[in-house]
Amino acid sequence: MKTAADLKYGEKVTIDDIDCSHPSSRRILEIGFTPGQQIELMNKTVFNDPLAFSIRGTLIAIRKNEADCIKVS
Amino acid sequence: MIQTAVEALPLVTLVGPPNSGKTTLFNYLSGKNFKTVNYPGATVEYSISKFLTRFNINANLLDSPGIISLIPSSPDEQVSIDALYSHPNLGKPDIVVVTVDASQLSRHLLLARQIIDSGFNVIIALTMTDLLARKGFRVSEAALSFELGCPVVSVDGRTGNGHSELIKEINEKIKRRFSFDKNKITRFSSSDNASLLSYYKEIERIENKVLLKTNGHSELKSNGINLDAANAQLVILSNPEVKENCHKIDETTIKIDRILLHRIWGLGVFFLIMAVTFTSIFWLAEPLMALVDEAFGAFSEFTFNAIGNNWLGDLIANGIISGTGAVLVFVPQIVILFLILGVLEDTGYLARGAMLIDRPLSKIGLNGKSFVPMLSGFACAIPAILATRTIPNKRERFLTIFIIPLMSCSARLPVYALLIAFLLPGGKSWLGGLMLAGIYIFSISSSVIVAALINKFNNRVIKEVDNSSFILELPAYRKPKLSTVLNNTYVSSKVYLQKAGPTILFFSLALWFLTYFPNTNPEINTEGLTQEVVIQKQAEERLATSYASELGKFIEPVMLPLGMDWRVGVSLIATFAAREVFVSSLALIFKVTNDSDPMQQSMIEAMRGATIESTGEKLFTPATILGLIVFFVFALQCISTIAVSKKETGGWRIPMLQLLIFTSTAYIFTFIVVNGLRAIGIN
Repeated sequence: MKTAADLKYGEKVTIDDIDCSHPSSRRILEIGFTPGQQIELMNKTVFNDPLAFSIRGTLIAIRKNEADCIKVS
Repeated sequence: MIQTAVEALPLVTLVGPPNSGKTTLFNYLSGKNFKTVNYPGATVEYSISKFLTRFNINANLLDSPGIISLIPSSPDEQVSIDALYSHPNLGKPDIVVVTVDASQLSRHLLLARQIIDSGFNVIIALTMTDLLARKGFRVSEAALSFELGCPVVSVDGRTGNGHSELIKEINEKIKRRFSFDKNKITRFSSSDNASLLSYYKEIERIENKVLLKTNGHSELKSNGINLDAANAQLVILSNPEVKENCHKIDETTIKIDRILLHRIWGLGVFFLIMAVTFTSIFWLAEPLMALVDEAFGAFSEFTFNAIGNNWLGDLIANGIISGTGAVLVFVPQIVILFLILGVLEDTGYLARGAMLIDRPLSKIGLNGKSFVPMLSGFACAIPAILATRTIPNKRERFLTIFIIPLMSCSARLPVYALLIAFLLPGGKSWLGGLMLAGIYIFSISSSVIVAALINKFNNRVIKEVDNSSFILELPAYRKPKLSTVLNNTYVSSKVYLQKAGPTILFFSLALWFLTYFPNTNPEINTEGLTQEVVIQKQAEERLATSYASELGKFIEPVMLPLGMDWRVGVSLIATFAAREVFVSSLALIFKVTNDSDPMQQSMIEAMRGATIESTGEKLFTPATILGLIVFFVFALQCISTIAVSKKETGGWRIPMLQLLIFTSTAYIFTFIVVNGLRAIGIN
């Protein structure tokens, strides 16, 4: 399944689900990544990690492995 | 007595997510008169204050660390949240003011909701309404207040708008505080992900009801408030796309990030900004530091002459005044560092810097959030270690603390300056600059290697294991506000002085004692000598027979393999008070008179002439000087750093390991450098 870590620049998607087995999943939910929200990949670093997403009107940088627990469609 | 009076006052606590304008509000309400205190037994800091008298509120005001939710994710958050429910010294809060960023309504209402549901007596302070207005929206305070069941006031921390309403609400609540039952406050416990989701559902429903579309730039109030407000809301309810506009990122921020967070140039720009920051710390601070140094030197000399050549005069002039000078000489650099960091933070860039550097740092077991503390380490390790508190992962935080002493702090600068001047006599200042840059690059690479090694042997040195994570909000770019930056600079500098000042002063005094006693009034032949020379001779004699020299001779066997003798040994011991004491200690030992203007020059002359008594070899050669530089790069000769490291890591383990590992590394490398250079004929 596609996750937020697979997004390309400017690709807008909707969050389907959060993988609750990831240790950071609760923090990710708390900071606003909830199912139904639209996210867009805004910035990457030269190492492709971390990634910055737009979510609920702000930019949040998270690591690639954390973005991997955000399932999107 | 005072304690009970404090407890009897009502307690108002400020709570809010990071970047919600909480500290700005706190500064506005408290003026700058607050104390920063640690929670008992923890490394989490809180600020406590009274309201400014003009607000006419007699209550304690507590600023808590920023939290995202009431469910802790790290030990530090646990402490902050525990203290919110019941503060160890101040008890349960009578009123909780929750700051909510209006432009981040749906995210920030989560914490507000959790706090309301815990049964606190809440006032919501809506901040950043200007940012929301720029997007063409506003929040109906009345509707939000109805939905949440508590007062809501808009405040602008930058202009002061809306603060009088907030004060009125706080006063109202304080008057009626006895009708509020504190026992109703219960711990928020729904910590599973499902309940989080239902919270968000509820918040989104509220958001739809309270968010109003403003008609372009024209003000709503011009014709019939109620009708317009109703219409404005209708627009949101009927068109979901309109709300999407509210969730759009600020256009300017996106444009700036196209350059600053560019995938390829982003890192280059980052290093450029850091290089500029770094050089300006030294350039701008240098004349000021020289000024402080000279002022204290002159003051010390004046006092000595005024009181006279006796132990009291010496104690006051060389112990107390010079000791205070040793603390204050770093203030310019620290102030400038915090100023620049403050500007970078207030604009929103610092979070982006952390993002850019996270990947490389995570490779060696650190975190993007280690970057700011490491940068501060170039001014002084004390504020740097305190700054590691922003790293949520304990293991990464301890590792950051561990390597901070390797960052070349400003106390080493005068030492390097002297040693380089010895190596490169006359006129080649560009070469000196190059060498200094080389030393910095050497110390940075060493810290990277040390971090990587310690991370490899992880569990033996740092035992903590934690989920490594990097989740950081990149705030919208804003013009930095001078008063905010100045205020933060003031606070950080004050914290530095409070933490490091007493230790440095104490050890300066101890060192003075060791170099002055027991032979306080040595007998010398004063015949035909001027007063000045007599004082000079007495000082020499006193030092040669002092406790310090005994101590130095005791450790001489350790120094000889490095090609150095007891005099350097004593100076190295003296550096534990503060590294730059090395220079003044050498000056004292090598009999340099203070009055001649180019002091460094006469000192270098004296150093060139010095020989090791037992062997007759020259004491300072290019080999031993380079060895000393290497020693200063590694050795942890700073009592204050050890003390702060102990406090912040909660035990002696880490600081003792730091002392042991860094000082033995310093010794071994110095040995290799000195003897290696001698072996290839450089001496």
